[in-house]
Amino acid sequence: MGGPLTAAVAWARAALLAPLSRRARSELLFCLAGIPLGLCLIGVLVWVMAFAALVLLISPRSDPAWVTATGVAVGALSAILLATRVARRLGAVHRRLAARLLGTRVPAPPPPERGRGRLGWVAAGLGDGPGWRAVAYQVVKLPLAFLEAYAVFCWAGGLVNLTYPFWWGLFRNHPPGVTLDPVPAVTPFPGRLLQIATFPGTFLALGVGLAMVLAAPWVTRAVVAVDRRLLVALLGPGRLALRVRDLEHTRALAVDDAAAQLRRVERDLHDGAQIRLATLAMHLGLARESLAGLGEAAEVSRARELVDAAHRDAKQALGELRDLARGIHPPVLDSGLDDALATLAATSAIPVELACDLPERPAPAIETIAYYCAAELLANAAKHSQAGRVTVQVDGRHGRLALEVGDDGVGGADPARGSGLAGLAQRVSTVDGRLRVSSPQGGPTLVSVHLPLRT
Amino acid sequence: MRVVIAEDAAVFREGLVRLLEDRGHQVCAAVADGEALLAAVAAHRPDVAVVDIRMPPTHTDEGLRAALRLRADHPETGVLVFSQYIETRYAARLLQGNAAGVGYLLKDRVADVAEFTEALARVAAGGTALDPEVVGQLLGAGRHAKGLAGLTAREREVLALMAEGRSNAGIADLLVISAGVVEKHVASIFAKLGLPPAEGDNRRVLAVLRYLEA
Repeated sequence: MGGPLTAAVAWARAALLAPLSRRARSELLFCLAGIPLGLCLIGVLVWVMAFAALVLLISPRSDPAWVTATGVAVGALSAILLATRVARRLGAVHRRLAARLLGTRVPAPPPPERGRGRLGWVAAGLGDGPGWRAVAYQVVKLPLAFLEAYAVFCWAGGLVNLTYPFWWGLFRNHPPGVTLDPVPAVTPFPGRLLQIATFPGTFLALGVGLAMVLAAPWVTRAVVAVDRRLLVALLGPGRLALRVRDLEHTRALAVDDAAAQLRRVERDLHDGAQIRLATLAMHLGLARESLAGLGEAAEVSRARELVDAAHRDAKQALGELRDLARGIHPPVLDSGLDDALATLAATSAIPVELACDLPERPAPAIETIAYYCAAELLANAAKHSQAGRVTVQVDGRHGRLALEVGDDGVGGADPARGSGLAGLAQRVSTVDGRLRVSSPQGGPTLVSVHLPLRT
Repeated sequence: MRVVIAEDAAVFREGLVRLLEDRGHQVCAAVADGEALLAAVAAHRPDVAVVDIRMPPTHTDEGLRAALRLRADHPETGVLVFSQYIETRYAARLLQGNAAGVGYLLKDRVADVAEFTEALARVAAGGTALDPEVVGQLLGAGRHAKGLAGLTAREREVLALMAEGRSNAGIADLLVISAGVVEKHVASIFAKLGLPPAEGDNRRVLAVLRYLEA
């Protein structure tokens, strides 16, 4: 029977204790921090006016109106150019605040593109979608900052009102007959003040203050909830970007997984079939030697022939299996791309000059792709180029892997004409790499492959 | 011959033990990883160690690293490295500075039992036994030239076979020439490489190194 009553008591308890809760405190802090950040937009006005003033100061005073207009235009233009970049920075501050104080983690949007040259810089700024969304947030944050200021006002005003009965006696102990001005106290309506003239009147201020303090957490919460929604919608990566990120992530998993699978297959072959076959060949070798000492009886020589044939087959199968396993995943790749490329270069039909500069090891899947690119390109050079010399250069500095394979042959390699190049380009594109071919008729040929270091 | 074997695949390890014991050699220990190999060699001081490159725990090159440690710590023990693959860098690391008492063979070679035991004996005696693939790769790697420029094509051929570890008689068989002709080639190679005549067997090893490192 006490159900509704207990619930009511619990509700009242929660309402009374809300001002003391940790959540109320951090939301209040968020509002406090939001006020100056929200007013940043006003900084733009200051910026534009400063430009106008500056132009006015340094220009010959021919026509002040025109000069002011020019100043405003220059200021506004520069503000537009800088807007996305500044808004992104402010957005980062907001996201950090939300994470720290509200526990709302909003992932950062993808970084803006790096434009090359001055024009590229401008274009990158103007075309920065997430940047403009951050600008939009900053614009709606301006009215929101006033609401947040109101929430802070509820707290501060309420708390001050609570104090009236306590100090009234200290300051209002004047002799009877003296009339003093009433003391103003705040109300929840900014601009409307209570006038307190007597000690009992202070309890009115106390009551209003109590109401404000009790209401303040809920006002704060409402404002913060609105801000939080805007923050998630405008300062996050956006739905499409999230989807892209998701797809990139799953693709990287798929690429890594495929590489790991191939390694596993190679290892299984190495520890299983290859070792069995090597043992078999060894035993056949022993059998062959035993048979060698048994004279020339017809059956013995028949057995000898059979064992000889089996021995040959086993050795051949070993060789074929080795080539197969190496094609699946060259085990030396586990010791590093440069070691693997060294063997590749050494077994090439054309002399290869190899230079490797890899300060850090790329991800295994990247190493595998780079290796197979090099293998395919070397095989192409040997087959088609008639080159006398091939160079293979690997450069892992500058945060990416650049593989360049060049030869002094006849050129004319064309990805469109079915050679393995199209397949390579496809494989490279699975990790957002790119492949460029320069191979004019008459040569020389230079194929460059750029890969990220991580999938 | 006293032998220590390090190979993680049990069937192959047992096959090797059987093969060597059949031929009257003493297998002091047969272990499955690099650490155990180092301990076994320190304990038994064998003539030669047969080492698989890929062993636990990482299955990449711990056998090679153990072999290099052996070369440094126990120069009197020959090391025959055994693998399913021949890798240029591994060969270069193994031969660095000294080709005496070193072998690097494909596992397949064990199928030709007599050749394999011969190679093992050579390594135990301080000679070399390099798989033809090793020699081919080290030459393909573009290391050839300067010091060897004076050699004739035939002399290079003879030198390559010497690098594999073959005797004069073996070289004569393979090239289908007489042993006397091989000897003449060998003497000419030594002279052209500037190796003094007094050093006996070691001279072959020096010539091989000169050849591989040129």
